[in-house]
Amino acid sequence: MTVAASPAARRPRLRPLRLGRVAGMLGLVALLLALALAHLGVGARPVAPWTVVEALLAFDPDSFDHNVVVSLRLLRCLAGLAAGAALGLCGALVQSVTRNPLGEPHVLGLNAGAALAVVSALTFAPALERILPGLSGPAARPFLAALGAGAVFGLVVATARAGRGGLTPLKVTLCGVAFSAFAAALTSAQLILDDQTLAAVRLWLAGDLSGQSYAALQMALPPLLFGLTLALLLSGRLNALALGEDVARGLGVDLARTRFAALAAAALLCGAAVSLAGPIGFVGLVVPHAVRGMAGRDMRLVLPLSAVAGAALVLAADLAARTLFAPRELATGAMTALVGVPVFLLLAARSRR
Amino acid sequence: MTAARAAGYARFACGPLAFRLRPRVVATCVGLACAIGAGALVALSSGSLPIPAAQVLAALVRAQVPAEVAQVIWDIRLPRVLLAMLAGAMLGLAGAAMQALTRNSLADPGLIGVKEGASVAVLALILAVPAAGVGLRPVAGMAGGLAVALAVAGLARDLSGVRFVLVGIGMSWLLSAALLVFITTADINDVETALVWLAGSLHAASWPLLPAPAAWGAAGAVLLLATARGADAALLGDPVATGLGVRLKALSAARLAAPVLMTAAAVSAVGSLGFVGLMAPHMARFAVGGGQSALLVASALVGAAMVLAADTVGRLLFAPLQIPAGIVMTVAGVPLFLFLLWRRRDQL
Repeated sequence: MTVAASPAARRPRLRPLRLGRVAGMLGLVALLLALALAHLGVGARPVAPWTVVEALLAFDPDSFDHNVVVSLRLLRCLAGLAAGAALGLCGALVQSVTRNPLGEPHVLGLNAGAALAVVSALTFAPALERILPGLSGPAARPFLAALGAGAVFGLVVATARAGRGGLTPLKVTLCGVAFSAFAAALTSAQLILDDQTLAAVRLWLAGDLSGQSYAALQMALPPLLFGLTLALLLSGRLNALALGEDVARGLGVDLARTRFAALAAAALLCGAAVSLAGPIGFVGLVVPHAVRGMAGRDMRLVLPLSAVAGAALVLAADLAARTLFAPRELATGAMTALVGVPVFLLLAARSRR
Repeated sequence: MTAARAAGYARFACGPLAFRLRPRVVATCVGLACAIGAGALVALSSGSLPIPAAQVLAALVRAQVPAEVAQVIWDIRLPRVLLAMLAGAMLGLAGAAMQALTRNSLADPGLIGVKEGASVAVLALILAVPAAGVGLRPVAGMAGGLAVALAVAGLARDLSGVRFVLVGIGMSWLLSAALLVFITTADINDVETALVWLAGSLHAASWPLLPAPAAWGAAGAVLLLATARGADAALLGDPVATGLGVRLKALSAARLAAPVLMTAAAVSAVGSLGFVGLMAPHMARFAVGGGQSALLVASALVGAAMVLAADTVGRLLFAPLQIPAGIVMTVAGVPLFLFLLWRRRDQL
């Protein structure tokens, strides 16, 4: 009680970290680095890890291996890192705001909404061009994806909030399934009616990291960084929110504004990820659970670590997708689902209500 | 007797045989059947070659019609219309039985991964044994669907809970990911044949595709109707049902297996058609009220009408391009699903 009187202690302090947890976090970062090296080194032409490091630090334009790494593989690796970090962060935000362990961008229909927005923009390109030139081009894709994700997400949350229980896991999941199915049906109807759009987005729709360009990466960065900053700024308030609505209000947190800001950040992050990697699912479901097991419930740790773990998961999934059936490639989204759904099943089988 | 009459039943007797029916239910079902007949006539007469209704009827009774008309009706449109009605009826029946069994109005064999399980099994058959006939597909599909249903029931440990639905949704996601792996690794020609079938389209309908689902559908319908009284009693609660002499374990096993197998057989024939099993029983309940046997018959009729309508709309809306019936069904079904969710919002 004496502590509460001093002004400096009004904000909750980071608890001292246990050694095991610190080791776990460092291990996570080391794992991410190792995965990135492996991601850059593995392929039709294997490149040794030290050559990869050399290529990144002291690029030699005459070396064939260096060129393979920097001009062919680095882009895919960076896109995977960015998309994975965004998805992990997005999942942590959504689970925290909805206070729902099953919350996840894919479950909540964000992916389907983003895909619908991007495909619709391509289908109605001529009409859109007349309203605002450039809206159907690749440059507007992150913006459109975030818009679609946000719209569907808003619908899901608004519908699932109805009734006495609020956002129960079952209601959130059912609404997410319903709106996802609706958006997916509209998307595939457009693709069936329009061959050109299908050809343009077929690869991207499967959740795929190949075929990236630095332009797309640049376009995705502003929403990603904005969402990331917003999420980190909100982490203290999200901690307060986790204590319950009354406590949070007592601590001076504006509930509605915090929720809105966090959900907006989630939509921005998801939009950036979808525009880069297509609708990759289930990263946001698994990652926050794993991170909470490692770092506890403090959002100031959970959020950055979720970004790291999400990036690691997507890189690992992409690595598996590229190598398991080489020379054929699987869709990265299928690999993350094969990892993520068993976790969903475990959580669902453990849930009581 | 008076209680039965108060509930709207009328007794029909013919010598030693006597049974009770509710005239209102019979009238509703006859009305539905007539509507389906009219819908079928519309579906048969419309298309890239419009055929007047009189000529459709003449062709159906093998009267004198131009050879071209007879060919379009008998070889192309009739098997498609019949398959649509058959698949819809099976899915509707399966949904009605499942909702009664789990006492959960959102349960549907399609929602708990049976569709995807059947799809994976059929796809494996198509890819591994390309020479296998169309007739084998329902067998593979039913094995896959049953395996998934057993896995979901085992993981959730309890059929009536919310967990059952959540685990089922997770299982269907897992299997869709497996499907995606199939699609991305298999030969592109195989994928094209598989995709056409997966989209839930009736455009591949032909006479050889009909007998197997029809046989399974009939068997399942008989099983469900035969156990309808037991299911009515089971809704009163386990102790009451046991007291009334219902063998609950056998009843649950039969009433889980029948809808799962019917859904899988329907999926094997026409691909994944969502929301029929979910919506048809609700609309049927609205039309005929409670009582398993009435509900089953009405659900089958509503389901048949829904799929027939979805296929016809998908076929005509953007002609000459065809929208698979599965997509039409989803676009129409989701608002209805949300409406149901809204009505149950305080209990979920």
